Amino acid sequence: MFQSLISAITNTIGRELRRMVSRPIYLIGTVLVMAFCFVFFLTFFSEGQPNKMPIAIVDKDNSSLSRQFARNLDCTQQSEIVMKLGTHTEARREMQKGNIYAFVEIDKGFAQKVMTNQRPTLKIYVNNGYLIAGSLLLKDISYMSALTSGAVQRQVLRARGVDESRIMGIIQPIVIDTHQIGNPWANYGIYLLNVLLPGVLQLMILLMTVFAIGSEFKERTAHQWLENAENSIFAAVTGKLLPYTIIFSTLGIISNILLYRYMQYPMNSSIGWMFITTILYVMAYQAIAILFMGITPVLRDSVTLTAFYGLLGFTYAGFTFPIEQLPYMSRIFSDLFPIRHYFNIYVNQALHGTSIQMSIIPLISLLAFNILPLFVYHRLKNAAIHQNYPVN
Amino acid sequence: MSTSNHNMNPLSKWISIAKDIISIYRNEFKVVFSDRGVVIIFIIASLVYPALYCGLYRNETLVNTPIAVVDNSATAQSRKLLRYIDASPDVQIALRCTSMDEAHKAFDNRKVHGIVNIPADFDKKIQKNEQATVSIYCDMSSFLYYRALMQASNYSILDMGKEIQLKRLNAQGITGQSAEATLEPVPFKGIGLYNGGMGFASFLMPAILILIIHQTLFFGISMLAGTSREENRFHVLVSSKLHRGGTFRVIIGKALCYLSMYLIFSYYILILVPKLFNLPHIGLSMDIFQMLIPFLLATIFFSMAISVFFPNRETSMIIFLFFSLILLFLSGFSWPQSNINVFWKTFSWMFPAVHGIQAYIKINTLGGTLHTIRFEYLSLWIQTCIYLIITAIVYRWQIKRSQ
Repeated sequence: MFQSLISAITNTIGRELRRMVSRPIYLIGTVLVMAFCFVFFLTFFSEGQPNKMPIAIVDKDNSSLSRQFARNLDCTQQSEIVMKLGTHTEARREMQKGNIYAFVEIDKGFAQKVMTNQRPTLKIYVNNGYLIAGSLLLKDISYMSALTSGAVQRQVLRARGVDESRIMGIIQPIVIDTHQIGNPWANYGIYLLNVLLPGVLQLMILLMTVFAIGSEFKERTAHQWLENAENSIFAAVTGKLLPYTIIFSTLGIISNILLYRYMQYPMNSSIGWMFITTILYVMAYQAIAILFMGITPVLRDSVTLTAFYGLLGFTYAGFTFPIEQLPYMSRIFSDLFPIRHYFNIYVNQALHGTSIQMSIIPLISLLAFNILPLFVYHRLKNAAIHQNYPVN
Repeated sequence: MSTSNHNMNPLSKWISIAKDIISIYRNEFKVVFSDRGVVIIFIIASLVYPALYCGLYRNETLVNTPIAVVDNSATAQSRKLLRYIDASPDVQIALRCTSMDEAHKAFDNRKVHGIVNIPADFDKKIQKNEQATVSIYCDMSSFLYYRALMQASNYSILDMGKEIQLKRLNAQGITGQSAEATLEPVPFKGIGLYNGGMGFASFLMPAILILIIHQTLFFGISMLAGTSREENRFHVLVSSKLHRGGTFRVIIGKALCYLSMYLIFSYYILILVPKLFNLPHIGLSMDIFQMLIPFLLATIFFSMAISVFFPNRETSMIIFLFFSLILLFLSGFSWPQSNINVFWKTFSWMFPAVHGIQAYIKINTLGGTLHTIRFEYLSLWIQTCIYLIITAIVYRWQIKRSQ
């Protein structure tokens, strides 16, 4: 019994490998897509944070003080003055065109007002339509103006004969000491790639699994597929999907190695946990794809269904927009996405470096997805025997 | 040139071309609506996706993110600072801990997404006119958590700092207006334009909406092409008219079919949805409509040109679904265009979605006009021409091959 099962599975694996070399889509949909994404994402975010973003200055004062300020601004890490403009309208137009992401407006009489204690306002306009550029620049420029203010304050206090030891206490009575846990550079690559790469991986697992099984129905070879596995649907599915389990797990582990070793992204516990998570993650998505295939054994429908589900995974991972801010009714679905559990494990193990006990529930959840194919066991077998579903 | 065309006068030649185009146009509608898969992509997806994503992101921003505090000082001053922080809309003190260990445990359990730690000497240092320190620990798993805690603590500490500064200045004999001037010689005002609430949906959705149009058109058209290739009826459409210009009639007829459908969908996606879901919509509909024409045409011809290479109806979606994500980042809506390296920037110019997203954001969100998006507008027309020519070449090649 056991021996025949093994031989059924190995037969199926052999058959699947022959299918895989027969058409380019198998190579493209696994290795090439992931390789492209590795290259794309790792080079795209290599800067970490967008530096030297273009900004403009509208200097109506044109005093030595305002020019000094402009020079200081130009030296900050994230902004670079690319234009000096005359009017507010002009600056706003450039902003609409996307040529600058922020501009600073210095009114006429700025220097004179500073000298005579009249507190002229420095106006910073940022484009929050491009939220990332806008909020980073606001932080950057605000910091610069606080420094400028501080320098002026120091001069005034010194002139008034305040004791040097007291000056810092007056300029900045409370200092914030910020700890950015796991990502002290607020690096966008670390923040995004740890979820985007597994995200693309799950898309490809879902689609390729559905394609591997669905093409049998579409080409009316399902019957032969089942016969080759000695009429055991268990052996047929296992043998068919095992090569993909190995390919996608390898790709997932390569992605882990690229992120945590090559790019030196934070890994505050053992990288081994991420390897195990990745393998469970691959199997969980294969199980879901089998479920979809059982629900609708028509290739085109299951491709559409998995595409829909796979894209929603990016939302339900909850990394750009936290889950608890989703509308209540939609929040409950997040547990139905393995990528959510993957994200939780990654935050615990890689980012926060907690003990593995914290990740036991998400690990078990990933494992639990493997029950799903049982629900469509008979349906899938009947579909393979009768081949009674439309092909197009 | 076939002999029949020689004998026609120009007018009747044009009439026959128009007739051909109309019949292809009508036929294409029949093909689209008889294919359930294509109907799902063209119609259901265009209708459902915009509403679904707008619904999911409708809360726009984080409010009351739970944080833990460790107040080692336990003085009037430290309690005041915590009250300030708690009062900010971004965070909420969910846990008051007696030790950092306890707070860290809650942080590891992800019950709180940040910690504020006030050291024991906080009050003492304030009384002694020294600099006091407050430590904050941010959850970096989502940048929105980080932003929430940074904003709340920065503003609270700045506010409280000013009160202390004023007292200290008074102690130095600097009072009244002169104290205020010393306190903040150059007050600055940060003004966030176009997305005042720093909303996530207002920032993300305009890009997603254009991407939905681009991707549904691409997958729908390539599904149609894959199907006709599977059924080997590629030549059927053209064979009877394969005289010079025949290919063009087929391309134009089909393109007009998709264009007329998508003009209607786009009205819903680009104009109604932003109003219904309260996304930014300060552009003029007329400007959006004008950028829409080259965007749709470029996308249609781009899709038709590539669609020829898909042997099956499912192939394009399997291979190119992930590319939606790539296009989103290439468009420069999040990582700014100015910081995309030359290689990827040049690569991005191939795709109508990239110019479409920029053009739509600039009109719809930033309130620009056609003049503002001159670069994108021209690029889209250039793409339209190039992809039309490529489509003509590959269609002709495909037709010859299948004969």
